[in-house]
Amino acid sequence: MALPPPALTLTGLTKRFGSKTAVDDISLDIRDGEFFTIVGPSGSGKSSLVRLLAGLDTPTTGRLHLRGTDITEVPANRRPTAMVFQSLALFDHRSVGQNIEFAMKMKGVPQAERRARALDLLRLVRLPEDYYPRPVTQCSGGERQRVALARALGSDPEILFFDEPLSAIDYRLRKTLEVELKELHQRTGKTFIYITHSLEEAMVMSDRIAIMRTGRFEQIGTPDEIYRRPNSRFVASFMGEVNILEISRTKGTPHFADLDLPAPQAPGAFAVLRPEALSPGAGEGPSFDALVTQKLMLGSRTQFHLRAGNTALIAEVAAGPRSALEVGQTARFGFDPADIAWVDS
Amino acid sequence: MSGGRHILWLKVIWVGTVVTALYLPIVSVILASLANTRYMRFPHRVWTLDAYRAAAADYTTVTLHMISLQIALCVVLVSVLLGTIGAMAYARYDWKGRSLFQRLIVLPIFFPQPVLGLALLLSMSALGIAPSWKTAVVAHAVWIVPIVTLVISIRLFGYDVAQEEAAFDLGASRWQVAREITLPALWPGIFSGALFAFLLSWSNLPLSVYTSGADTPLPLWLFSRTATNYSPLVPAIAVIGTFVSGLIVLLLLAVRQLLARRT
Repeated sequence: MALPPPALTLTGLTKRFGSKTAVDDISLDIRDGEFFTIVGPSGSGKSSLVRLLAGLDTPTTGRLHLRGTDITEVPANRRPTAMVFQSLALFDHRSVGQNIEFAMKMKGVPQAERRARALDLLRLVRLPEDYYPRPVTQCSGGERQRVALARALGSDPEILFFDEPLSAIDYRLRKTLEVELKELHQRTGKTFIYITHSLEEAMVMSDRIAIMRTGRFEQIGTPDEIYRRPNSRFVASFMGEVNILEISRTKGTPHFADLDLPAPQAPGAFAVLRPEALSPGAGEGPSFDALVTQKLMLGSRTQFHLRAGNTALIAEVAAGPRSALEVGQTARFGFDPADIAWVDS
Repeated sequence: MSGGRHILWLKVIWVGTVVTALYLPIVSVILASLANTRYMRFPHRVWTLDAYRAAAADYTTVTLHMISLQIALCVVLVSVLLGTIGAMAYARYDWKGRSLFQRLIVLPIFFPQPVLGLALLLSMSALGIAPSWKTAVVAHAVWIVPIVTLVISIRLFGYDVAQEEAAFDLGASRWQVAREITLPALWPGIFSGALFAFLLSWSNLPLSVYTSGADTPLPLWLFSRTATNYSPLVPAIAVIGTFVSGLIVLLLLAVRQLLARRT
């Protein structure tokens, strides 16, 4: 089966600011219609990268192809792409309708057609039609998000870029908008390239995730791959609370250095163990005694903060009889070595 | 409620006092212009418009206004241009020494104007420049540009420069970005700045005293004729001058109204 050409091809893309390399030799194919998310901490170069892709900056070296056409030198206003900015950058002296119609007005689309299309877009982003004449300054945070999205869609772009647009939104609204954005992606079939510092947000929406660190991609994979098979401690720690156990080989056979447990098959220097893989009771796998130092109710699950020797660990257990342990108690905890993700760095 | 009524009365008295205090001097000048004596005395024995007839017949009246207007318009042009560029530099770029420069530029505002005027006169004579209305423009600009920059900056506060990038990203050319995004955001600040520049220059005395040379702007003439050789011609020309500046401000407001309707 012949694959369609990638929507966007990055070849050795590099951006330097003085002596600092913000984007370091990145090569990548982004498939047509893909929801591709780039996750990284601040300063990782993810915003610099998306600005190169949108044409707001030009790369120091490297090429960028859109469906096989070289667009490296094409400025943003002549690229069939649109960006939703972190600040949203709504035109605040204009109405909702004028914001959405901006790209069409620049193209010279007649007013009646513009208006009809703007009303369609309002429906698409789930805003009532009577928002059309409203000044954007009168819109709430969530409404502004939707206007920004409709405005970007108003240029009928082939690719939509998102530069952390949800970072300033409160948790509940963010969750709603994440789901809506995913649905919108499915409905429009457009290619979405999304930037965020939250792997959790990326997990919900993305087809593929790239973890970025100091200008390079640390790992690229589906949400499941990133979650189950992180390739470094950096990627593993991005998912939030996780146990990372160092393997020591000083005593001849490899063993978990902190727990003083043998680790017969240890293909990596560190074992990454998700909190839910650690559970009370000794099974067939390795087990150890641990003191419960904290117990947190997370709704359907209970989280235990443990201390074994000098090591702090986190375990999460489904609410039920197995979560009956209390702070101050010592209990045996164990894990299945098959749940471990091995990393070398 | 009787307490509320008392407060209402206090408010009326307070506002009345403030308004009276503000307008009484202006009314007195108008009254003074309706006399025919060389000494200010009230009530007048003869009420007359002679002073206005004399002012209208005297070519000096036109010259004074033309010089003041010339200076004020040049100052408006220079200060709006520099003020806009300066304000944009603050809003758009984050450069090294930005806040230091911001402080440095407002320093001349705190400098006593007569001292500033004298300093400028000394510098100009050192450079061999003969003072005239043109040097007065420079002197006014030194004091007014910082104020206008401040006024435009304040109006530009909260302007998200990413709007320009967003417009560019949505297909606007550089020129369209300027016309559709930058100018509409700048316009209220430019208008207030121009108004400030005009009125501050039009009424400026301490800088003009030192730097206008043989050309006499309106406030300078009013000051010297009040100090020596007073006649009702002085308040008459003052009243005419007030009307002229009021007319120009109204004209500016009308222009703004017209531009606001177009967009």
